[in-house]
Amino acid sequence: MHGKVLFVDPEKCTGCRNCEMVCSVFHSGVSNPTRSRIRILKWEEVGLYLPMVCQHCETPICTEVCPTKACHKDLENRRVVIDPKKCIGCKTCIMACPFGHPFFDPIDRVTCKCDYCDGNPQCVLFCNPKAVSYIDADLINVERKREAAKRIADFLRPGR
Amino acid sequence: MGSSKGVESKMTGSFNSSRIGRHLKPQHHWGWIIAIYLYLAGMGAGSFIIGTLIHWFTGSTKLMEIRPFTLQLDIAKATLLWGPVLVAIGAPFLILDLGIKRRFLYACLNPKTSWVARGFLILSSFILFGLISLILSLSPDLRTYIGTDGIRGLETVALILAFATALYTGILLKSVKHVALWNTYLLPLLFLISALSTGSMSLLMLILGMGRTLLQGIFSSSLIKFLMGVEQILIIIEGIVLVLYLYRVNQTNDQGAQGGLSVSLLLKGELKLLFWLGIVFSGFLFPFILESFFSRFPEYPALVWFAGISLLLGGLLLRYGILMAGVKNQIPMERWIEAQHLLGRLSLKEK
Ligand code: SF4
Repeated sequence: MHGKVLFVDPEKCTGCRNCEMVCSVFHSGVSNPTRSRIRILKWEEVGLYLPMVCQHCETPICTEVCPTKACHKDLENRRVVIDPKKCIGCKTCIMACPFGHPFFDPIDRVTCKCDYCDGNPQCVLFCNPKAVSYIDADLINVERKREAAKRIADFLRPGR
Repeated sequence: MGSSKGVESKMTGSFNSSRIGRHLKPQHHWGWIIAIYLYLAGMGAGSFIIGTLIHWFTGSTKLMEIRPFTLQLDIAKATLLWGPVLVAIGAPFLILDLGIKRRFLYACLNPKTSWVARGFLILSSFILFGLISLILSLSPDLRTYIGTDGIRGLETVALILAFATALYTGILLKSVKHVALWNTYLLPLLFLISALSTGSMSLLMLILGMGRTLLQGIFSSSLIKFLMGVEQILIIIEGIVLVLYLYRVNQTNDQGAQGGLSVSLLLKGELKLLFWLGIVFSGFLFPFILESFFSRFPEYPALVWFAGISLLLGGLLLRYGILMAGVKNQIPMERWIEAQHLLGRLSLKEK
């Protein structure tokens, strides 16, 4: 799983919340979206859905603020993980993440986060419209550049 | 050129006045328990700072024998012990808020980068120093053994720790970074001044509560008057810092920062009652007015009690309000979707 990341395309998301279900089943054995590591942010009025996933940042702030080092970088797999045996559930990482990621598990009383399901993300497998994909980090850059170019082009389109 | 400027200004307008789909709500991860923790830690530290200064400048001692034992308590030092006692009551509130409370000792494992861990260490050391001064104030033999210089040294270290504790309560929130309301140096400053003001008020109430007989000859009525004056000045400074703080945060609205929205949440949103009644009236106006009355009519000590209770409540609500209104900045993705949507809507309108 070296160098692979989750990539979200909000335009494709239909808000079915399948990913939340399979994520919670995979990680906690029960179908309970409040224990999922992926969450869908909904704008009902405009019909937009945004799957929120961990960005596994290069210099994550969640690891910086964690008082116990439970939240740490797994350098080998290039991901950020939380050790549930060390987490005390202080929620500082939740407050600090700019991407609204780690979530408090109300049953285990610790914070949980996406760990790429050890290389086989369930949300990707079960997302029918393919709004979430697991791709090489380089590819994502290409997509981003393409998107940015399109955005600028759209913005500068004459007559808008 | 002109039209693109028009689009921008319309965008900013809609961004600030309405949110798409996500109504701005108070945050809920850190609530009352953390507010009480920050409040008691601040108040304890503040009362220790003021108590130490009084102790240094008046330098009085009054020994009281503790009967069954061969111990003597220096009552004048009661003002010094009060601070660590408050912090010691406040510290367990952090533990109370943890998901898994029995693991609380883990909370000091990462002092290199985490302010929660640093705070844990600062508060524990402060409580430890309080304990040492309690032991010292109980045993005259130990006092002579350590000597005045030694005691002064210990008190100085404790004073530094008290300042660190009071500032820490603000820095902890600031260290979270992506909450515009908390991400300013004015917050630790505000909390420090509020700590001094609530601390000195609690000290004043302690002195009055312990009664004149017990403390006869140590705390003169002129000292009480002086403390009252200090208290009033602190309220004014705190008020100015609060206005400056809110004004400053209100300006931060770029890059998805929710500073302005957090301030409106406090001033005219869901938290407006808490802000105007709990913080402004109970924490500033009411105690200030009562204290002014008291300086004219010192024969009514009840005025101090009412002022005190109101001010202490205001101090707690200040922490709670600032915690609640600490709305996280928008996620870049979210910002982008919103911008896209707004642009789409605008272009539809223009068509
Ligand atoms: S909730 Fe757990 S992982 Fe998050 S900062 Fe606290 S101890 Fe670390």
